[in-house]
Amino acid sequence: MTAPAIPAPSAFSWVPLALALGHRSLLGILRIPAAMVPLVAMPIFFLVAFSGSFSSLLALPSFPTDNVVSWFAPFAIIQGSAFAGFGIGFATVRDIETGFYDRLLLSPGSRVALLVGPALATVVRAMVTATAVLTVALVMGARIPGGALGLLVLFLAAMGTAVISAGWALGLVFRMPNQRSGPILQLVIFVCTFLSTGTVPLADQIGWTEPFARLNPLSDVLALARQGFVGEVTWAVTWPGLVALGGALVVLWVWAATGIRKLTP
Amino acid sequence: MAVVVVGERDVGFGARVALEQGRALGLRSIRGTLRQPQVWLPGLLFPIFIAAVNTSAMGRAVEFLPGFDGVDSLLDFLLVASITQSVLFGGLAAGSDTATDIQTGFFDRLLASPVSRTSILVGRLMGASVTGALQAMVFIVLYGAFGARVAAGVPGGLLLIAYAMVLALVIGGFAAMLALRTGSAEAVQNMFPLTFIVLFVSSAFFPTESMEGAYRSIASYNPVTWMVDGMRYQVIVGLDWSRAAGSLLVAAGLAALAIFGANMALRARLRRAT
Repeated sequence: MTAPAIPAPSAFSWVPLALALGHRSLLGILRIPAAMVPLVAMPIFFLVAFSGSFSSLLALPSFPTDNVVSWFAPFAIIQGSAFAGFGIGFATVRDIETGFYDRLLLSPGSRVALLVGPALATVVRAMVTATAVLTVALVMGARIPGGALGLLVLFLAAMGTAVISAGWALGLVFRMPNQRSGPILQLVIFVCTFLSTGTVPLADQIGWTEPFARLNPLSDVLALARQGFVGEVTWAVTWPGLVALGGALVVLWVWAATGIRKLTP
Repeated sequence: MAVVVVGERDVGFGARVALEQGRALGLRSIRGTLRQPQVWLPGLLFPIFIAAVNTSAMGRAVEFLPGFDGVDSLLDFLLVASITQSVLFGGLAAGSDTATDIQTGFFDRLLASPVSRTSILVGRLMGASVTGALQAMVFIVLYGAFGARVAAGVPGGLLLIAYAMVLALVIGGFAAMLALRTGSAEAVQNMFPLTFIVLFVSSAFFPTESMEGAYRSIASYNPVTWMVDGMRYQVIVGLDWSRAAGSLLVAAGLAALAIFGANMALRARLRRAT
């Protein structure tokens, strides 16, 4: 008797599954719209609060703009993209705790889809947030002298940050598959966003945060996102941002990919 | 099994017994808080982190921006902000614990026992207030180690501690009111963004003189600004009893309102239980 031949999976057999998982994740938002509120409301709150509380910071010598909303809008958008990543982390923990993830791991689908699906959903979430924050910023008087190119690099930086943050979140929850991973997830993202040039340019930071902000790749990503809001888009500012995104992407997605193996007995 | 609730009128107490029960429940509240570092630690660490980052990243603000007259370091300026932030976050935990007591049935057991009803509330608020004092002490000592000085000296430090205790009654009272009305710890935790907004739209982190437009107007009318400014004066300039009294009176007024609301919520819950 001959065993039936199992057709070899094609190189892209994971794509439909990744799309289905991404779709499922987005359906979760549509079914519980309240879950989207903190994702959008928090960055808008930060935009309003920072622009209001710290408006006088523009008087510091090295601020490159006289429009406080233009300064803080890209920061709020990048922050919102990072939050989108840990939203996916929480959703994955829930799937692990309810046993849904075990069923995915038992299925004959590719593991790649389990990583790419959530990443796609994170990008969509981040784009919704970015659009909402940008709309509020424009209403509040933000200017974009960099024009369409400025918007393009902003959305590119937001998408990159969302994917990186999803990589960090998935890598952590695969290693710590319970709700206790939540505070660590948030803390690291908070620390990374605040120890950067998010609120004050490097030249005006006088203490211990300056070396952290200088070395933090997120400062380069922020410069990439912000350049169209404070002037023209230039290659000199763009390439360090792209390199920072690329480097963080590789490191954190290796972290996520090695993490998923720890879930498999 | 149905809980037999002893009606309020069936429970007669002398003030001394009620105080003793309040003290015991207050100690239980403090012990409960101290045993859960995950509850109080973020409330300490988050303000410290914000102050540490802002002191470094925005340190030059004291040289260039309006509203920082006489301020040597942003850390001095942020001392009262950190105490306020920490106490506001910690007070929510007290309310959350009340809700947890309701959810786990401990509250019903208290009602079934001959405990003074007022002690239940007083105990919880006493616990929050003492925790607030401990938080203020931690910030004064820690920031002192990093160079922050209270210009008003020891009396100024004591005023800051008193302020933290009264502020804890404010947030603890409002949180307890919500807990008693809803019986849900989640509903109390949902107050967190509100406290964050109230704190941010005030002079806690930056002086109102450096703000503009509608934001400045809202911040100027925010009671948090009135409380923080009076206390900050003791840190930056020196002892001023009238400003300190102004701050404490605002806090005491809000505390009275919050405790009244919590007491009404307690009465309403008792009526429902009997």
